[in-house]
Amino acid sequence: MDAYLTSLLTFVAINVTLALGLNLITGFCGQVSLGHAAFFGAGAYAAALVTTAGHPFALGLLAAMATAGVLGLVVGLASLRVREDFLAITTMGAGFLFLGFVRKQEWLGGEFGIPGIRPPFGPEGMAILAVASALLVWAAGIAVRRSWMGRIFLAIARDEEAASSLGIDTARFKLAAFLLGTVSAGLAGAVYAHVVQLIVPDAFGFIQSITILAMVVVGGIGSNLGAVAGAVLLTLLPEMFRFVDTYKLLVYGGLLILVMHLSPDGLVGIARRLLGAVRR
Amino acid sequence: MSLLEIREVSRAFGGVVAVDRVSLAVEPGAFLGLIGPNGAGKTTLLRLTCGLERPDGGSIRFDGRDVTRLPPHRRAQRGLVLTHQVVRPFRDLTLTDNVLLGAAREFGRDPLRALATFAYRDRRAEAEALLARVGIADFAGRTAAEVPLGILKRMQIARALATGPRLLLLDEPLAGLNQTEARAIGDLLTRLHDEGLTLVLIEHNLAEVLRIARRLAVLDRGRLLAEGEPEAVMRDPAVRRAYLGEAA
Amino acid sequence: MFYVELLIAGLVQGAMYAMMALGLTLIYGLLRILHIAHAAVFTLGGYVGVLAANSGLPLGAAAALGVLVAAAAGPLVYGTVYRPLLDKPPYVALIASIGLLIAMEDGFRLLFGPYGLSFAENPWFVTGPDLGGIFLNWVQIALGLSAVLAIAGLGLFAVGSRAGVAWRATVDDPEMAMSFGVSPERVRLLAFALASALAGLAGFLVGLLNNLIEPGMGNITSYKGLAIVVLGGLGNVPGTLWASLLLGVAESFGTIYLDKILDRDAIAFFILVAVLMWRPQGLARGR
Repeated sequence: MDAYLTSLLTFVAINVTLALGLNLITGFCGQVSLGHAAFFGAGAYAAALVTTAGHPFALGLLAAMATAGVLGLVVGLASLRVREDFLAITTMGAGFLFLGFVRKQEWLGGEFGIPGIRPPFGPEGMAILAVASALLVWAAGIAVRRSWMGRIFLAIARDEEAASSLGIDTARFKLAAFLLGTVSAGLAGAVYAHVVQLIVPDAFGFIQSITILAMVVVGGIGSNLGAVAGAVLLTLLPEMFRFVDTYKLLVYGGLLILVMHLSPDGLVGIARRLLGAVRR
Repeated sequence: MSLLEIREVSRAFGGVVAVDRVSLAVEPGAFLGLIGPNGAGKTTLLRLTCGLERPDGGSIRFDGRDVTRLPPHRRAQRGLVLTHQVVRPFRDLTLTDNVLLGAAREFGRDPLRALATFAYRDRRAEAEALLARVGIADFAGRTAAEVPLGILKRMQIARALATGPRLLLLDEPLAGLNQTEARAIGDLLTRLHDEGLTLVLIEHNLAEVLRIARRLAVLDRGRLLAEGEPEAVMRDPAVRRAYLGEAA
Repeated sequence: MFYVELLIAGLVQGAMYAMMALGLTLIYGLLRILHIAHAAVFTLGGYVGVLAANSGLPLGAAAALGVLVAAAAGPLVYGTVYRPLLDKPPYVALIASIGLLIAMEDGFRLLFGPYGLSFAENPWFVTGPDLGGIFLNWVQIALGLSAVLAIAGLGLFAVGSRAGVAWRATVDDPEMAMSFGVSPERVRLLAFALASALAGLAGFLVGLLNNLIEPGMGNITSYKGLAIVVLGGLGNVPGTLWASLLLGVAESFGTIYLDKILDRDAIAFFILVAVLMWRPQGLARGR
């Protein structure tokens, strides 16, 4: 396959993984997170540390998921104490805290990050790995959606008080959502680190968190397919319109406003309405 | 032994005492109407009972166990279940799916089991039976956004029934309904009570409460004014003063 | 002396945070919107000011122009971006706000270049009174003073004027206020205008202080502003003021003592997370 297409496919798959993971937390369970990139970063750094120390990639992958998951549980536990707007700001704070911490750590390379991460496979192998990760998280997302867990997430997202009145331990389920979503982000981070081979703190900042959230929301919050569509669209958009590249962020920002105004339920909402119109 | 025992429970909000050392017992099989003028503390007492608020003092026992410190979901797990005043349906779900959520109680403390159990189709019949029990089987497939308030109120009762309650707390189940609808839901509650369910309800529709409740408790400014048989309570001069004073 | 200077620098920084956070908390109090795009209004004030100053206007007039344009931009943002979204779930307005911030920041970059603009002349920056060995430039003094004046003015307005009373009534109970003939819409427009004027002034002064206006200059301030709003107890004005000053001073000392472990900009969020774990409603008692 064409090197450019291979790399494009890899990045689309990584973003799909991230968006699907965040969709579990924010879309299904209704916990708005503005710090998802931190878990992506935690995974990337953990995997990079492990493999640059000479250990096998598989170990790096596990370390990435474990680190991100543990961090996710910690942030999740912290988030249990706050709700809605407080929660959004707390997760944003967690993201900045991660970044501010990593930047100052010499053993993590400080501002300059970790270079020389050696990929276990060639570009095509990495693309396959990225796609496999995305499919795995997609499958997990579908499993959650179809199970009682998905139902309970939905109940919590819509009305936490009513959910607890129905006998649902909302704290446990919120933690479960954080765990699943952040482990996915860790997985994406491990793959990402070994694709780009050099990781720097700034790749995991607030803008990245927002970008992932934008994918979920533009696609249609609370829908696996929406998260996938949003991630694919927002990754490809600047590529399809090369001339747009200078205006990438302008278009991004404008698109976010536009989608929120026209269809707060995103592309999936538009599709649903179109289908409804066709059926009628 | 009483099913629910509220002892000397108080709750203040920023200096305003909403519930002031209220004690109240509910026997198994009771049907208690909790009435009182606006701001009497009825809703706060109900929220304290189901755990959505924590009392400043006093204790609450349910089925012989102290639940004062338990969060709402643990109380609901034990069968102490609240239906909210404002119906909170999951709007884009069908009524069946809404009622199905009541069965989430079974998985409510175990995310792993919840993840391992597929949620579709397995309990539909149960949910549909509950919809039939509250008299809205015909609306099973409609989404909550499409049906009128009276139907939603019944759906909410069905959803609460799906959790397998031993005591159902109802926060103004008749609010916002016209007289015919209110009467129909009153009849429904009477039927549920006849089938053995213990009920406590707050209601402003005094005529309907007097018709259906077997006991009355009157709250006024956070205090329990009177409690007993409806006729006796309504003859109580203190109650008449609280009510007529309010009306005049 | 060193510590006194640190303290004063921290208070000045805190005053600047207060000018941002106050607007954010007013808007949150009225509309429950986390107005992240406030950062772009802040930057707008800076750009208008620097362009005006560099085209020959005196600094005072340039500042006034920056404030005016910002004050006009606020209600515009409310009317076009937020008003249609008020009945949607809160994250919808938040995402739109983030979109607006990203778009405006990129707009500034496209219009004025990525490296920002400096003042051709910045006399306030290099001169200042000697306060017994402690050097403060006029910009720092102006920042502190404007914050105090603006906040005092706002306080007087809220307590003393008819519009202020209407405003507080609207925050407490919009429907009740409406039944007394207060138009919540006008109160909201006014809130956006005032909050944006404050942000514009802060942007201009920070531009002077750093002698640089750049596209993303408001972002981190706005993120921190949100942290402050949350620390202060969402919508709580005195809480917000305290939290602003506290953060300014904490950062000032933190850069000295925490430099090895934590980035300066992360200190705010460290405090935020620590405080929220201790008191989930923020430092001040809830509304």
